[in-house]
Amino acid sequence: MANLLWLQGGACSGNTMSFLNAEEPSACDLVTDFGINVLWHPSLGVELGDNLQKILRDCISGAIPLDIFVFEGTVVNAPNGTGQWNRFAARPMKEWVRELSDVAQYVVAIGDCATWGGIPATAPNPSDSQGLQFLKRNHGGALGKEFRSKAGLPVINIPGCPAHPDWITQIVVAVATGRGAEVALDDFQRPKTFFQSFTQTGCTRNMHFAYKVSATEFGQRKGCLYYDLGCRGPMTHSPCNRILWNRQSSKTRSGMPCLGCTEPEFPFFDLAPGTVFKTQTVMGVPKDLPLGVDKKGYIALTGAAKNAAPAWAEEDIFVV
Amino acid sequence: MVQMEQDALRKHLRTLLEEGLQTEVEPRAYTSEDINHLVHRLQSLRPDDYEGKLQIAGFQLDPYRPPGEVGGDIVQSCETCMYYVVHRQYCELPELAIPVEKDWSCRLWRI
Ligand code: SF4
Ligand code: SF4
Ligand code: SF4
Repeated sequence: MANLLWLQGGACSGNTMSFLNAEEPSACDLVTDFGINVLWHPSLGVELGDNLQKILRDCISGAIPLDIFVFEGTVVNAPNGTGQWNRFAARPMKEWVRELSDVAQYVVAIGDCATWGGIPATAPNPSDSQGLQFLKRNHGGALGKEFRSKAGLPVINIPGCPAHPDWITQIVVAVATGRGAEVALDDFQRPKTFFQSFTQTGCTRNMHFAYKVSATEFGQRKGCLYYDLGCRGPMTHSPCNRILWNRQSSKTRSGMPCLGCTEPEFPFFDLAPGTVFKTQTVMGVPKDLPLGVDKKGYIALTGAAKNAAPAWAEEDIFVV
Repeated sequence: MVQMEQDALRKHLRTLLEEGLQTEVEPRAYTSEDINHLVHRLQSLRPDDYEGKLQIAGFQLDPYRPPGEVGGDIVQSCETCMYYVVHRQYCELPELAIPVEKDWSCRLWRI
C-alpha cells in the first residue's frame, strides 16, 4: 500500500483531467490493482475544512506516512513572496508544498506549471510563479536545487500541457511498486523512458520532413509542419508519436504542429502575437533548427533533399 | 489546373517579368511582421491578379543573393524554398499558388 497525496497550485486542472482519462491502467485500477491509497485529491477527495487539514498535518507529523506527493500547478509566490494569492487549507499553498515535500518519499511534479512554471510563469509572471525545482530552464524553483525527497531523488518532473495519462500512471505505479530507484532521469529530471526521444520519433510526416515537403494549412494530410506552421517536433523531447493520445492519434498526425509543451521554455517566445503557429525565421532560415543541426548543414541538406524528392512525396498518400 | 494551363501561365509570368514588370524585390521581408504584412497584401488580391502577385511578392527571374552574405550560404530561389513543389514546379504558398521556375525568387522565400 502506497499513500498518495495530490495537491494543486496555480493550475487549470488539465493534468487532473488527463489523469482521470487514464485507461491502462485507469485511476481506479491504481487503487484496486496497484495498491495506491489516494489520501486526497482536489477532484476526488471527500474531506473538507478541518478534516482535510488534519490529513495534511498528519502527513507532516508522520502519523500518516506520505509515500508519493504529487503536485500539479505552479507554486505561487505573489504578493511579495508571501504566497497569499494561493491560499489553501488556511495557509499559503507554498508552505504546505515545502513541508509535505520534506516528508514525502517521492515528489512528483505533473504538468508544465509544476515542473517549470508553464503558462502562469510566462513574462511578466504576475503571480510570481515557479515550478517545484525549476523556473523555465533555471534550476532551483520553489524547493531549491539541492532538494531530495526521502528516497533520495530530486523531484520527478512529468511535463506536458497536459501530461499524457500514461506518463503519469506509469511513473506513479513504478514508484508505488518500489521501482522508483530504476526511474532514470534526464538533466531536467524527466523520466528518460518518455523524454529521450522526440515528438518527431514516429511521426507519420517524417518522409515529408526528409524530402522538405511543407504543409501549408492545418489538418492537411500531406507535408511536414516544421517549415511553415511552427512544428517543434524535431526539438521537443516527448513520446507523443510513440504513445498515442487516446490510443489513436497525436497533434502532428492530425495536422496540428507540436508546440513543444514538454520543454522548459514552453510557451515559446512568451506567446508574442504571430509566434505560435508560424515557424519563426531569420532571413528565411528557421530560428530553431532541428536539435543538433547547424545552419550550414541545414541549408545544404535542404538543397540535396529537394533535388532527391520523389514525385510521390508531393502527393497525398493517405487516401481514404 | 491541368499541366498545359500551368505551363502556359508560367510562360506568361516569365514574359511579364522579362518585359520589365517592376516588382518590389527590396526591402526583403525578414521579420514576421514584414511577412505578415506582405501576406495580408496578397490576400487582398483577386486570385487571378498575377501581375499584382508578382509585384507584391517581389519576383525576379534569378536567385536572390543577400548583400554581404559571407560564403554565399543563403541563395534564395524557388528551388530551395519550402513552398516549392519540385515535380510540379509550383509555389504552394496559398496566397501565391502559381507555377514558377526553380531559379526564380521572391520575398516570401523560406528554407
Ligand atoms: S510534422 Fe513535426 S513532428 Fe512530424 S515530421 Fe514534421 S516536424 Fe517532425
Ligand atoms: S505533440 Fe508536442 S505540444 Fe502536443 S502534447 Fe506532445 S509535446 Fe506537447
Ligand atoms: S514563396 Fe518560395 S516557392 Fe513561392 S515564389 Fe517565393 S521563393 Fe518561390
